[in-house]
Amino acid sequence: MNRFECMQRLAARLTDELVILSLGASVDEWYNAAPHMRSASLFQQQLGCVTPEAFGLAVGLPHRRIVSLDTDGGMMFNLGILATLGNEQPQNLFVVVWDNECYESIGGPPTHTAGRADIAAIARGAGIEHAYTVKTLDDFDRHCAEGLRASAPYLLVAKIDRSVRPDIRRKHSDGREDKYTFVRHVERTENIVIMGPSEHN
Amino acid sequence: MQPSAVGQVIAGLKAAGVSVICYLPDSLFKQLYPALDRDPDIRTIRVTNEGEGAAICGGIWLSGKRSALIMENSGLRAATEPLARMGMGAGIPVVMIMSYRGDLGENNWWAIPHGMTMEPLLNAMRIPYRIVDREDAIGRAIADAYAWSHTAYYHSAVVLTGSIVR
Repeated sequence: MNRFECMQRLAARLTDELVILSLGASVDEWYNAAPHMRSASLFQQQLGCVTPEAFGLAVGLPHRRIVSLDTDGGMMFNLGILATLGNEQPQNLFVVVWDNECYESIGGPPTHTAGRADIAAIARGAGIEHAYTVKTLDDFDRHCAEGLRASAPYLLVAKIDRSVRPDIRRKHSDGREDKYTFVRHVERTENIVIMGPSEHN
Repeated sequence: MQPSAVGQVIAGLKAAGVSVICYLPDSLFKQLYPALDRDPDIRTIRVTNEGEGAAICGGIWLSGKRSALIMENSGLRAATEPLARMGMGAGIPVVMIMSYRGDLGENNWWAIPHGMTMEPLLNAMRIPYRIVDREDAIGRAIADAYAWSHTAYYHSAVVLTGSIVR
């Protein structure tokens, strides 16, 4: 299964959701697979932070569907968040874990999921009842439909191959610019102020 | 903590507009956590480590809500990685309220490293902080931390010590 094709399937289902995503090549792939979601996606370079940040966003905006696009390496970095999601049971959080069983960005040394570790099983053990592993595009698509309308935390481990989509346009912005873009999108769509004007005093 | 100090912290957080607290409980703030859990205006989220708590607080900030990460100062060490990435890399702020383990008066050998590392680590991270040892200064310190962090879009910390926590 190919990550870019999965992203295209997921992107086709998204309209007013907010997305936080992980580091590495998946950033540029999402930038191209979901052009209509660019300002609604926070592109972060933060191993272990992605799903916790997405959960925080889900807590702050309980009426909004939040999508976390995490990775095997990122999730293994901070497994504790699975137990927190199990306890807190957010009703508006869909977590996708792109699991290519390697640290792709640095050339492909294996992650622990290349061995015996099973992130979906760990998630179920942590109290996330809806945690699944998929290996085909159609299964991925079907679970996206379920996860996006679930009223309990939903975690989908997508077993993908190691290929990176070649010849795609690279995203040029850094984390700071991406944050401003995302925050302005949240402000506009929620009609709130997050980063307001300075005082004059 | 005396009930009056617990009340000052909670009043300060509310005055600053805080509605969500992430915490990993510790002994010096032992009375604070259940009081936060009971407060109908505050949602508490228990986390498995302070780094996870920092990242959740970052996400809450992105939603337009205000949160705090409350912990023992040893948690700063666990939180440094996400704090560096969120704060320095993206300008996503987290306000921390922490107990000062290892300050003068400490009588646990295992807590001495917490005191040795806290201020150097805060300084290395360029995180401004205020060490408070008087109850009547708690509210102002919390208010100032939120004012600064929501102007700088960077982390700040209030450290409670002395008779406030013992």
